[in-house]
Amino acid sequence: MMNAVRLEWYKLRRKRLLGMITLLLLVELAWAFMATSVSISRNPEHAGWESLIATVSSMNGLFLPILTAICVSRICDMEHKGNTWKLLRTVMVSPGQLYAAKFMTASIMGLWGCIFQVFSIFVFGMLNDFNPAVPVVLLTRFLLGTMITTLAIITLQLWISVAVKNQAFALSLGMIGGFIGLTADLLPSGLRRLLVWSYYSGLSPIAQSYESEQMSFAVRDIGTLLPVMALLAVVGAALYLAGNIYVSKREL
Amino acid sequence: MSQVVASTSLSKRYGTVYCVKDVNLSVCEGEIYGFLGPNGAGKSTTLKMILGLVQPTDGQVTVFGKELAAHRRLILSQIGSLIESPSYYGHLSGLENMRVVQKLRNVPDRNVSEALKIVRLTQQKDKKVAQYSLGMKQRLGIAMALLAFPKLLILDEPTNGLDPAGIGEIRELIKSLPQRYGMTVLLSSHLLAEIEQIATTVGIIHEGRLKFQGRMDVLKNNNRPTISIRTRNNILAEKVLMSEGFSSCHRGDSLVFENLTDELVAQANRSLITANIDVLRIEEHKKSLESIFLDMTGKERSL
Repeated sequence: MMNAVRLEWYKLRRKRLLGMITLLLLVELAWAFMATSVSISRNPEHAGWESLIATVSSMNGLFLPILTAICVSRICDMEHKGNTWKLLRTVMVSPGQLYAAKFMTASIMGLWGCIFQVFSIFVFGMLNDFNPAVPVVLLTRFLLGTMITTLAIITLQLWISVAVKNQAFALSLGMIGGFIGLTADLLPSGLRRLLVWSYYSGLSPIAQSYESEQMSFAVRDIGTLLPVMALLAVVGAALYLAGNIYVSKREL
Repeated sequence: MSQVVASTSLSKRYGTVYCVKDVNLSVCEGEIYGFLGPNGAGKSTTLKMILGLVQPTDGQVTVFGKELAAHRRLILSQIGSLIESPSYYGHLSGLENMRVVQKLRNVPDRNVSEALKIVRLTQQKDKKVAQYSLGMKQRLGIAMALLAFPKLLILDEPTNGLDPAGIGEIRELIKSLPQRYGMTVLLSSHLLAEIEQIATTVGIIHEGRLKFQGRMDVLKNNNRPTISIRTRNNILAEKVLMSEGFSSCHRGDSLVFENLTDELVAQANRSLITANIDVLRIEEHKKSLESIFLDMTGKERSL
């Protein structure tokens, strides 16, 4: 399996995907940090990890679905463009193995993005003397929530990118996802639960509320978030399975 | 010679239409089997079923004496193939594309250089494949198929996109493979001239059905000559000859006879002269392979 993943990275040579991810995340984080800095200068009591994590989580709803769609699309598009699905099938690569390798490659990219965000948040907090010095629990919960949501989105995007040759479709889905992710908190809770992109803010360890013209931040209880994470993981597994079955049965 | 590929009643249906129906293919070891048919006859679908890319609706395929469905991995490890258009990663160089297949096939470096040398791509191996011409991409596809020097090579329209010199080169290469590397080659084409020059055995498919399968020389021997006789009065000539036991048909302004020996031709001529009918021409027509092919596949279809 690791050979198959290594081969995916070999095939992605010169695509500069990690550079593109880092660049797009830098734009997002710069935006988030500026917003947090403005908020702190207006309300000094917001100078803390909570407001920073809440802002990044909220912006992830916009950026990460698009970023995930781009990465997965690039991973699959090279096979569509070069007509290599047939080649791989005839040189003994099982469709399931190929699908798993592509999922793992996209997941590694997603993990890189999440770790880069956590590290950047940490550096920004340290530079602004937030307390406590290192909020290990909060950052771990942020990493976990972001990663689980990203993995679920990867499974959906992978299925679409493999099934539909025209990658404009997959990219459009990513953009729709980004819009839903950004506006998720404004949607009715019943609808929000059905939309996988809404979980960037939904699984964030920090809840934002706007009362009496004042924004306030509160740490969410992990006990309420864990079942949601588990449910999202099950949804992701179901999407992965559906995509895998589709690929295995597809005639080329 | 042992059978390398055998199919039994192989059929594929899309919706209600069979694009391959009851094909019993038989490719023996060391042969160059030319799979010939007009566009859309079912050649590629048949080859895809042999490679397991398409699931047959009915029938079964055995390769190297083993059933494909049960021994897919083992069978594929001994097959090199190029199906329809060449497969490649455009952003990678020719060499990097070969490396991808090398890693999957687990073959030594010398195979890569040997395969590139065979298709004459050594000089362009570091160029991005997106910048290759169609002919170069086709040659790269053939190099990828040759990489593991497999026992069976399946090539679907291998000369597509090649210039005449390239076609000649690939033709000579394919012809040399059974002797040089002990390979069996199964290649498809819609070009009769190509198959005629390369193949030792031929299968002709039309509208999904195998119309002929056998040695190329047998097909050529089927090509019996016809004799056409033109007289001043063909109607009377036909009556005279019919009374002598000849049977003919009209084609243009001539009477056409099949299976006539020299003796019978002389006898027919004598009968006509005796009946005082002027004989203007006696001509022998040999059917070309092309007309045999067109007879089998329908003259209205283009090649």
